[in-house]
Amino acid sequence: MTEALIIATLAVPLGAALLVTAAPSARAADRLSVGAALVTAALALVLAVLAIADAPGAAARGSWFVLDPAAGVFLALVAVVGLASALLSPTYLRHAGRGWIGARRSHVFYYAAFDVFWAVLLALPLVDNLGLAWILVEASTATSALLVAYSGKRAALEAGWKYVVLTTLGLAIALFGIVVLFVAVGPGAGGLARLDWSALSAAAPGLPRQTTLIAFVLIIVGLATKVGWAPVHNWLPDAHSEAPPPISAMLSAALLPTVLLIAWRTELALGPGLSGGAVRQLFLGFGLLSLAIAIPFLWRPQPWKRLLAYSSLEHMGILALGIGFGTPLAIAGVVVHVVGHGIAKSLGFYTAIPLLRQNPGASRLPARGLARTSAPTALAAAVSLVSLAGLPPSPLFVSEVMVLLGGMEAGLLIVAAIAAVLLALGFLGLAHAVIEALLGGRRRGGSGVSPRSARAVGLLAGAAAVALVAVTVAAYQLPGSSLVEALMRGAA
Amino acid sequence: MSATAVTALVALGFAIVLVRHRSLAIALVGAQALLLGIEALSIDSGDGGGMAVAGVILVVRAAVLPALLFLARRHSREPALVAPATTIVTRLVIAAAAVAIAVAALPPLGLGDRAAEHGAVALLCLGIATVVTRRPAILQIIGAVVAENGVYLLAVAVPGGLPSVIELGVLIDLALVVTVSVAFSRKIHEEVGSSDVDLLRGLRD
Repeated sequence: MTEALIIATLAVPLGAALLVTAAPSARAADRLSVGAALVTAALALVLAVLAIADAPGAAARGSWFVLDPAAGVFLALVAVVGLASALLSPTYLRHAGRGWIGARRSHVFYYAAFDVFWAVLLALPLVDNLGLAWILVEASTATSALLVAYSGKRAALEAGWKYVVLTTLGLAIALFGIVVLFVAVGPGAGGLARLDWSALSAAAPGLPRQTTLIAFVLIIVGLATKVGWAPVHNWLPDAHSEAPPPISAMLSAALLPTVLLIAWRTELALGPGLSGGAVRQLFLGFGLLSLAIAIPFLWRPQPWKRLLAYSSLEHMGILALGIGFGTPLAIAGVVVHVVGHGIAKSLGFYTAIPLLRQNPGASRLPARGLARTSAPTALAAAVSLVSLAGLPPSPLFVSEVMVLLGGMEAGLLIVAAIAAVLLALGFLGLAHAVIEALLGGRRRGGSGVSPRSARAVGLLAGAAAVALVAVTVAAYQLPGSSLVEALMRGAA
Repeated sequence: MSATAVTALVALGFAIVLVRHRSLAIALVGAQALLLGIEALSIDSGDGGGMAVAGVILVVRAAVLPALLFLARRHSREPALVAPATTIVTRLVIAAAAVAIAVAALPPLGLGDRAAEHGAVALLCLGIATVVTRRPAILQIIGAVVAENGVYLLAVAVPGGLPSVIELGVLIDLALVVTVSVAFSRKIHEEVGSSDVDLLRGLRD
């Protein structure tokens, strides 16, 4: 039953990707994509509820999948972000112009790539094997790179090129580590199953420490290029700022966290066998460096989407810190942060649809005076940036406090203190950006009229605000819950 | 795997870093894949399934991918060779230093075949060096393929081999990434009139 549901969840978007190639018109492609997205999201959310509701028990697993609470949380996130992106894609495409491959087939190209990309992202949290996870992560590069460069403009081509080359090299390093790990595990477990999360967990205490450590470092450093952790993040600001807004939302709110989940699962499986120190330092190093590199860019006036891209770097850093601290409180913070960031960041990128429609110059200049030009766009921008800044009642405030307290609980006072200072600086940068975006001097070139997309994004902002408050309320129940206990166990 | 074969694979990797002509680099990476494929077939000679997988991998890596790259080169003819970002001596020094440091620092990985371990890490470094030091899009794609060839060399040397699902999955991904990269290289040429990716550098903070 569970396996059938999983197969259906992945088959619907893949089927839609095939069917859309036969769509007679752009409008038909829009309708097909939206219909398939509704079904896909419903199926994925059912799976997520099943996984999270079963948190105290053992994870459901089959020959290639695992449905544990972590899979449930990330699956729900990918489903919701994917659905919102699918619903807003027709609005974006209506005014997107010719695209890379010309006007006639551009909708078909967009939706086919989008659906395959979404199916890959949905499969990632479910897959019960490190080798298969790598194959999916690499497959996500090919599909999403085409979407990043969808507009065919010079900047989009540069961003897409950088993305495909850097992440492919990074993933080659990760694959090197996986082969080394496969050798370290030895012939005992047999075949592909040697790389199952549970098999790795079981084998970890007996693995040769040095070889396993080399494999672990190579895998995490390789995956870091895809998560966008500094210093291997160079593609991230460009790809997120040049991709179509619904794709930027998918990249930031769904792709980065799901690849992070693979890194996290690797840490949960191999960490105990590596006796902690090096594992922890690697994640803490990525976390602090990502925060430190993101902060100066959050302080500079940035175009809207580029600002959000650097905010992604900051938030992936916080998640790395939470995993590095590794206490139950920090892990509770990681879960809240993943969900809160996903909602707030995707809303921020959707806001770019009306923003760029009203003022195309906003793709190269910071957004200014939105409160005077479009109330719905201003509302969406405010909900997104205020949440991302971590201002209460944002769930990101709660999650950041949890992660920092988790660090203190782990005895890493200095790291927690440095992180607290960097987070405070990041907050100031984003707080300034939100004031400027809403009330700053209005730039010339804006139409002053709210397009239809602004009303859609305004409605979405209302829903997102409610969801964010709900996550904040839920966050208080999380520490000590069976969900966190299950997350600490990993997919073993 | 024989030390001679590993040396030849690494020598081909160095040649790719140094050559200026894209067609020559494509031929060299094809030769590298061919040599790797022959080694894989000889290792799997007693296993029918393993030989079939190795055969498919050989055909794709040594024939299909170079053919795709040749096609991309044909569609992006340059009036003159793209001026290299670095001199041949600089490229050689960078590549040799990266390989020497990586090989010297590499502890035993447990394969029981030090030559293959050293060869694999050397190719990984040479692939990265190619991407970093070359400007034409096709040469950067070739750099990524060289890095993947390094991983494949390691995989071929694993006692008993990697599971076929992983080997074929990796191959499909590589073919997908090369196809997408080739599409990018054609579009970049169309947009800027050259395959020099340095001409794209407009995204700065």
